[in-house]
Order: sequence, then C-alpha cells, then structure tokens
Amino acid sequence: MSASATSLPGTAGETSGQPLLRIEDIRKSYGELEVLKGVSLTVAEHQVVAVIGPSGSGKSTMLRCINRLEEPNSGRIFLGRDEITARNARLNELRRNIGMVFQQFNLYPHLNARDNVALALRKVLRQSKATAYATAEKTLSRVGLAEKFTAFPAQLSGGQQQRVGIARALAMEPKVVLFDEPTSALDPELVSGVLAVIRDLKALGYTMVVVTHEMGFARDVADHVIFMDHGQIVEQGPPAQIFSAPKSERLRDFLSKGLGH
Amino acid sequence: MDNIYRYFFNLDVMRQSLPFLLNGLWLTIGIALMVIACGLTLGLGLAVVRAFQIRILNIFIIAFADIFRAIPALVILMLVYFALPSVGITFSSITSVVITLSLVLAAFSLEIFWAGITAVNPGQWEAARSTGLTFTQTLRHVVLGQAIRMVIPPLTNRTIAITKYTAIASAVSVPEILNQASTQQAQLANPTPLTLAAILYILMFLPLVFLSRYLEHHYGKGR
Amino acid sequence: MDQIISSYFNLSVLRQALPYLQNGLILTLWLSISIVPLAMIAGLVIAMLFDLRQKWLNALLVVYIDLFRAFPPLVLIIFIFFGLPFLGIRFSEFVSFVLAATLNGAAYFGEIFRAGIASIPRGQYEAAVASGLTPLQAMIHVVLPQAIRNVLAPLTGNIIELVKATSLASVVAMPELLRSARIAQGNTYNATPLIAAAVIYLILLWPAVRLASRLERRAIARR
Ligand SMILES: Nc1ncnc2c1ncn2[C@@H]1O[C@H](COP(=O)(O)OP(=O)(O)OP(=O)(O)O)[C@@H](O)[C@H]1O
Ligand SMILES: [Mg+2]
Repeated sequence: MSASATSLPGTAGETSGQPLLRIEDIRKSYGELEVLKGVSLTVAEHQVVAVIGPSGSGKSTMLRCINRLEEPNSGRIFLGRDEITARNARLNELRRNIGMVFQQFNLYPHLNARDNVALALRKVLRQSKATAYATAEKTLSRVGLAEKFTAFPAQLSGGQQQRVGIARALAMEPKVVLFDEPTSALDPELVSGVLAVIRDLKALGYTMVVVTHEMGFARDVADHVIFMDHGQIVEQGPPAQIFSAPKSERLRDFLSKGLGH
Repeated sequence: MDNIYRYFFNLDVMRQSLPFLLNGLWLTIGIALMVIACGLTLGLGLAVVRAFQIRILNIFIIAFADIFRAIPALVILMLVYFALPSVGITFSSITSVVITLSLVLAAFSLEIFWAGITAVNPGQWEAARSTGLTFTQTLRHVVLGQAIRMVIPPLTNRTIAITKYTAIASAVSVPEILNQASTQQAQLANPTPLTLAAILYILMFLPLVFLSRYLEHHYGKGR
Repeated sequence: MDQIISSYFNLSVLRQALPYLQNGLILTLWLSISIVPLAMIAGLVIAMLFDLRQKWLNALLVVYIDLFRAFPPLVLIIFIFFGLPFLGIRFSEFVSFVLAATLNGAAYFGEIFRAGIASIPRGQYEAAVASGLTPLQAMIHVVLPQAIRNVLAPLTGNIIELVKATSLASVVAMPELLRSARIAQGNTYNATPLIAAAVIYLILLWPAVRLASRLERRAIARR
C-alpha cells in the first residue's frame, strides 16, 4: 500500500489517475417517486470524491446503487472493466472490491471487533482463521484500535465502532471505499477521530466516495466535490470552486444555510 | 381426485354428520370459555399472591407452575379422571377436562403475568410508594395495568395454544367436536366428518390466530 | 394417608410397571428426537423462504403457518391416522405421528424464526452482503445468530410443547410413555404407573421449563 504520488492535494487530484468507477446515467424510482434522475459520475483511481446536498436529495441511494444494495432502474455502473450493473455480474465478487461504511455502523453485535473484520475474510476470501485474524488485527491497529480486538460493539464508543466499521471495509482490500455519512451518528467530540482516519486513508492512496455533511472536511480532504439536489448532480468541481465560487443558485442556497449543518 | 371428493368432501356424509358435529362445537366452545375464565383468573390471582413474596406460599406457587408446565395436559387429564377416583374423588369427564386445562393455563399464565410484574420499571414502584400508596395499592393501581399490557402477546398465544387442547377431551369420551367426528367417521365409514371437524376448528381458531398476529404487531413493537 | 400411598405410590405395583414404563419412555424419547429437529429445520426453511420476499410465496407460507396454528395437533393426528388410509396412503404409525407433529411444530417454529429474523435491522444483512458474503452466508453467519438469540424464549417453549405433544400418540394406541402407563394401570388396577409417568415427564422437562421461564422473563423485560 504505497502512498501514491498521483493523489497530490489540491486541484491536481482533479484529473489525475485512471478512471476507476464510472456511473452512467443511473435512474432510480420508488414507485412514483423518482429519486435519481440520471446521475453520471467518474471517479479516478486514488481520488477522493465528496458528495454533499440536502437531505432526501438521493445521496445515499446513489451510493447504494454502486454496490447494488439498491437496483438502479436504468443506467450502467463500471468498476474498472467490470460492469457492476450487468445482468450476469458476479455480485459477491464485485462487492468485495467495494468497501462500504455505514452511517449507523451496522457492526455485527454478536461478534467482537476482530470477528467483525474477519468474517468476510474467512467466508468470502476463504482465509484460514489464523490468517484472517492476523489481517483483522493489523487493520484494526491501523485505525487505532490495537487494544480492542476482543471488545464487542456494545462495549465500544460510537467513534470506536465506526472505526471498526472502517477496518471491516478496508480488510478486504477494496478498490474503492464508499462512506455514507460516516460521522452523522456520532457525538460531536468523536467526529474528528473518525475523520482523521479517513484523512490517513487518503494519504495512503485509497479511492473513496464520501457522502458527508461535514463541509469543512469536504473542503480539506476531497479532490472533487459533487453537489446533489432532487436526484441530480447540480454542480461539481474542485472544493475551492464549489465552496468559494458556487455557480448555481441552489448550491449557494445550500451553503448559506450553514456550513456543517 | 374422485376419491378425495368421495372420502373427504362427501356432501351426503357432511349433511348427515353436521348436526352431531355442531353439538360437539357448542360443547367445545363451552369448555374453552370455562377454561379461559378459570385459568386466567387463577393465574393472575397466583401471580398477585406471588408478588407479596411470602416464602412458603411462593414455594408452592412456583412448584405448581413448574409441575403443570412440565407434564403434558393429557397426562394430567388421565390423572384427574382415572387416578383421583382411587381416593374417592370423582369428577365427570367434562369437569375433569375443565379442571385439567384450567390448571395448565393457570400455570402458564401465572408465569407470564409474573414476568410482566417483574418487568415493570422499579422506578414505578418507587414513585408510587413515595406518594404514600401502600404496596397493595401500588400493585393494583400502578403496576398490574402496565404488566398486563406488556404480556398481552405471549398471553394470547399461550391461551390459544392451550384452548386448542380441548380436543384431548375426546380421549375421555367427552362428545366434543373431535369425538363426534371420530364416532361419525366410524359409523359412516367415511372420513368426511374429520374434514368437517377440521373446518370447524379452523373457523373457531383462525380468528384468534389473526387476533394474536394483530396484538403481536400492536404491542410487540412498542419497545 | 395409607390409602394414598397404596393407590399412588405403591412400590410393588411400580416394580411390575417398570418394564412398561421403560419401553414407553424409550418410544417417547425416539419420537421427541425425531420430531424436534425435523420441525425446527422445517421451520427454519419456512422462515428463510419468507425472507426471499416473494409476494405469493409469502402469502402461501402465512396460510400454512396460520392454518396449522389454528389446528389442534390431535385433530391433525387423527386425520392422518384415520383419514389418509382411505386414499390408500399408508405410513407406519411412527412415520404418521412424526409427520403430524412435524407439520404442526414447523408452523410454530416457522413463525418464531420469522419473527426473529424480522427483528434484526436490515443494515446487518446489507453490511454482510456489501462485504461480499452471499445472501445465504449473510443469513447463516450474521442474521440467524442474532435472530435466534432474540427468540430463545419461545423457541425453548415450543420444544417443550413438542415433547409434551408426543403424549398424544397414546390416543392412536402408540405405546409411548402415557399409553404404557395406562396399560400397566389396567393390568394392576392401580394408579401408581400413571403417577410414575407424570414424574418421569416432570424430571425430563423440568430443567427446560425453568430455563424457559428465565428466558421469558428476560424477553418481556426487554420490551
Ligand atoms: N426504500 C425506499 N422506499 C421509498 N422511498 C425511499 C426509499 N429509500 C429512500 N427513499 C426516498 O428517496 C429519497 C432519497 O433518499 P436518500 O436516502 O438517497 O437521500 P439522502 O440524500 O441520502 O438524504 P439524507 O441526507 O437524509 O441521508 C428520499 O425522498 C427518500 O424518502
Ligand atoms: Mg443518506
């Protein structure tokens, strides 16, 4: 895992790297309600993309379409050369290349931290128990939980739980990691610890898509910011442009309603 | 297919056996209502007594609950009907069934009511006692209501399950539905009366099953 | 007092009845260890099929569950023993009884496991499949372990009920514990064998009954 030279901070990150994740015109409706009205997006290797927008604008839905927790009604999604949305896609194999971190952590309460991380290693990658545990411990240490291997989720603070959630996603060595408001369920004093972990991951060259309400974080860490509203990408660009010189009325409106909610 | 019709849905046989089965139905309903009334009353009463934490009484109450939950109802019925007469205590078959199932329901409902009483937040006791209510007043006006509301779903399920056991009355020749159906089946050499019995049972209990689903939904989710 | 001892706790009668009781107990145990796992597996399958969320399949499963919950097990047993032969369908007594009890037990287990699975937040399943587990793996390693923990109380209760339901086999003349005790009672004109059978059931199921009430209390307190 080498810190990549291509993920230089600032606007340089904008265009660098091979396209890794490609979303082409996806649409999604729940009955009458059209939640995604044709969303297209390309994420380059080593790029960090922040997705912002008002509540109900379709951010989570877009993210969940990427690993097909939701089925888009139309449009195509590619990870490298593989089409995720293909009818015969080998979903389980594709999904292990896409890590996901949830707002509510979704840790398995009946398993301790190490087993939370090791489960997919053992069942999907068929690693031996010893190998899986070694990987799990290494990954947990990396997110600052070296002392908590055998703690159960209920014994951990929200911030620690979310770091286990991140370790669970990282352990599979995914090509891209999706974060759905990873800090929204946390007490304010625990937010910075989790954001620091994500910042470290960027330094290590991870490709990430982060839905967030933390505008300060988006501005500092993202290479590229997407503003969604009413199921569409209204505006996108480097953080400097999005936050300092918003073009659209809706984005200006959104930003003026208070940075960081 | 023809055979299924002839042996299980034979209209002639149905017509002949229906009056007998309906007699059985009323008897089953009567027994069931008696059992529910006696069983739940006794169960609630014992749970309340248990709340007073009188050592010796509690030993008996717990023993009663355990014994009547562990021994199958049919075994208890046999004891009541065939064994008690040895010491000169004789009940009619119907009374034996009512006694048996009432005791079983009492044992189960006692445990459920008691679980409800212990589950009421201790703060409720403290609050009520601090306003000067006595133990008994607190139990009666504050705790029991909450406890009962909490246990409605498991209580309904259990009551239905035990009430269904009225069918064991046929084993001591009480002429309830199943007994009537078996007799008719033997007499008419056709199992259609059994189908009829099945239909009657379903008509009788399906609404209760729906009720329990509804209650489960209504009370079960309110965590 | 003497009369009670000689009619209910008569040692010489007990000695005579012992071989019967022993054989009866063995059949009761065989029935139990056939029925409980079969019904449990069937119930688990029902609950997992439920989770596929296919509209028609689910409707069908609900009909199955509710019908068999509305149906007294004894009625089902009589139906299978005396009804099916008219269609030329003949199983051995053992198989017939296991079939009836499994059909009945599976409905209850199905409903229990279904409720257990429904009690687990969807995010658990999503987190598991998002990390590459197949839906079946997610069910087995993530959802079920939690679901089962949530329904331990009704699960234990239902196992006890199924074991007790083996006593219904006596009605169709299968020489399980109760029937054997009744035979011994007839031979000796003494109720001691019946008491002995009751005591055997008590010993067999008492630990489970204790466990069930502990679990139930915990489950109700969690609401
Ligand atoms: N399973 C569903 N069924 C019906 N409607 C849904 C479902 N999931 C989401 N929606 C609707 O889709 C819209 C977009 O939801 P989504 O969760 O993607 O928004 P979001 O941008 O993530 O909002 P938030 O910031 O509050 O998380 C909302 O109007 C929501 O009510
Ligand atoms: Mg969201």
